[in-house]
Amino acid sequence: MQHDDVIWSIINKSFCQYKSQTKTQKFCRNEYNLTGLCSRASCPLANSQYATVREEEGVCYLYMKTIERAAFPARLWEKVKLSRNLEQAMRQLEENLVFWPGFIKQKCKQRLLKIAQYLTRMRKLRLKRQKKLVPLQRKIERRERRREEKALVAARIDNQIEKELLERLKRGTYGDIYNFSQKAFDQALNAEEVEDEEDEAEEEVEGEFEEEVEEEMDEELTREFVAADDFDQSESEDEAESDIEDGPGGRALTGGQSPDEATSSDEEPASEPRVRVRSTRRKPRVEMEVETEEPTAPRIRQKLKA
Amino acid sequence: MSLSAARPVITVYGEKNEPSGTTCSLPAVYKAPIRPDIVSVIHHEIAKNHRQAYAVNQDSGHQTSAESWGTGRAVARIPRVRGGGTHRSGQGAYGNMCRGGHMFAPTKTWRRWHRKVNVAQKRYAMCSAIAATGVPALVMAKGHRIENIPEVPLVVSDKIQSYNKTKEAVILLRRLKAWSDIEQVYNTKRMRAGKGKMRNRRRVQKLGPLVIYANDQGLTRAFRNIPGVDTICVDNLNLLKLAPGGHVGRFCIWTESAFKKLDALYGTWRKASSEKKNWNLPQPKMAQTDLAKLLKSEEIRKVLRAPNKKIYKAVMKTNPLKNTRAMVQLNPYAVVQKKNAELLAAKRLREKAAVKAKKAGQKPAPQPNVKRAAALAKKGKAKKGKGKK
Repeated sequence: MQHDDVIWSIINKSFCQYKSQTKTQKFCRNEYNLTGLCSRASCPLANSQYATVREEEGVCYLYMKTIERAAFPARLWEKVKLSRNLEQAMRQLEENLVFWPGFIKQKCKQRLLKIAQYLTRMRKLRLKRQKKLVPLQRKIERRERRREEKALVAARIDNQIEKELLERLKRGTYGDIYNFSQKAFDQALNAEEVEDEEDEAEEEVEGEFEEEVEEEMDEELTREFVAADDFDQSESEDEAESDIEDGPGGRALTGGQSPDEATSSDEEPASEPRVRVRSTRRKPRVEMEVETEEPTAPRIRQKLKA
Repeated sequence: MSLSAARPVITVYGEKNEPSGTTCSLPAVYKAPIRPDIVSVIHHEIAKNHRQAYAVNQDSGHQTSAESWGTGRAVARIPRVRGGGTHRSGQGAYGNMCRGGHMFAPTKTWRRWHRKVNVAQKRYAMCSAIAATGVPALVMAKGHRIENIPEVPLVVSDKIQSYNKTKEAVILLRRLKAWSDIEQVYNTKRMRAGKGKMRNRRRVQKLGPLVIYANDQGLTRAFRNIPGVDTICVDNLNLLKLAPGGHVGRFCIWTESAFKKLDALYGTWRKASSEKKNWNLPQPKMAQTDLAKLLKSEEIRKVLRAPNKKIYKAVMKTNPLKNTRAMVQLNPYAVVQKKNAELLAAKRLREKAAVKAKKAGQKPAPQPNVKRAAALAKKGKAKKGKGKK
């Protein structure tokens, strides 16, 4: 070949626009290259007899070039459409490249096989669900995380939990069975005593006004219950019962309430000149019930009068 | 592949990319040997010829009357500026290491800027470069987009020589499918990297096709505003344009008359050049450059002796402990050993059987080969007797 060897010696040593080189390997970016590597046997420019298999939109074509057409670039590549059936396509390759060098035949077949494989894989993937990759924006992520932390702190969840638990207790969802820690119980008791004293004093002096105001305030804060003091466990039961009687529709109580406690509601003193739908003010008199450890056994009730 | 890769007839294309009917025969230049080494060297030499001199001012660093203070003053012996009353006094002067001194080896204008290149070498390089433009692979490798042009070398009718309007030129290039090369030029328009920007070499772009004409009737004016396109008259072919950068294979578009002139300009091997004095095409070092084909050819094969091939047949290894033949190869006495072992085992079995039979009160099984043994013994005795005699 006056040309092939000469061409290769020039392309290889000097410049070729399709050659891209890394430290270990030389690649060829020519679209007709059979292997993708830059080498003597697979260079489409340096071999006048060359063939490739290329895939366009799912259809495979065999491209061939021969030296007779080497000078006419527009007509250089002969395009043969290959069958969709892999076996038939292989046979087509065989018959078209019958007397061609073994390297080209081998590589064309390998390439066809690989193309067929990736096409089937694509089809399978299309039927499956596709993972959509969504990029995270670092700045925004950082900002949001910081804000979440702050919101968590601001929410003061502990307090809410406490409130919720107390409300449930008052409601009576825990029934009569609830073990209070002694300390907390004593605290509550003390708090109650102090309050009651104050209440009495207030009532005598100022009448209902303050109570009304207080009650109104309470009502604003909590709709359905009378606002609880910090830890009035025992009272909640009483109040819950009275609420049953007063409140509309009543509340479903999970625990059974003994009828004995119903009496407490009657003891509402002159704190309600007005008819109120559901306010039960704390009575000066407190009835508390302390349960012993055996819930099944008949309960020993100690009524303590404050 | 055969030398007929250079085919003898080339069609001339009309303005509309249709074969105009006329043909040219391929000028012999296209069969000249392609020597990229020569082209590169000559190109670089020739490129030096249009340089402009540069130098530093010859007075720089010498516009003082400095003199060394000599020894004994606890200072370095460099010449120092005379006088006083200013910062400058006493400072070092003249040396390249001194501030305000001259540079090392101040550049001179009388540097040898230009190179003289032998005419024959220049012509050789020219022939190689033209030959390379006829190889589509080289043109593609260089970077031109010629996938769709009708033929290489691309010869167009003489009508384009009288183009006056750029529009016509653009239409021609589009029709010839050479426009993708121009598009590439547009795509590669960029700013130069480096100080060249402030030295009036700001913008850089790829080179496009080279249009070669014989008679300029407006062609240069039509093509000059298209980026990347160069025009040149066939009488003044320039290596710097045909092999820019020292690399062969520029995309060339010839007009018919220019193409026909090539034979006269460069000659064929049969006939020397008529335009150039004393010039004929260079002889190739190898007439047949396909080394692989040469080595496989009949002429060479006939003269060679047959190859000394030693064929090693792969032998399967057999285990002597399992395979009797393998054992016998190693130890021929093994046959005897095995046989004796066999016989011994058989004998013992018989004795056992005999004892058993006796116990049961039955007759024992007869010994094998009793008669034969007896006959042999007789023979042996007879032989012994003979031998003694």
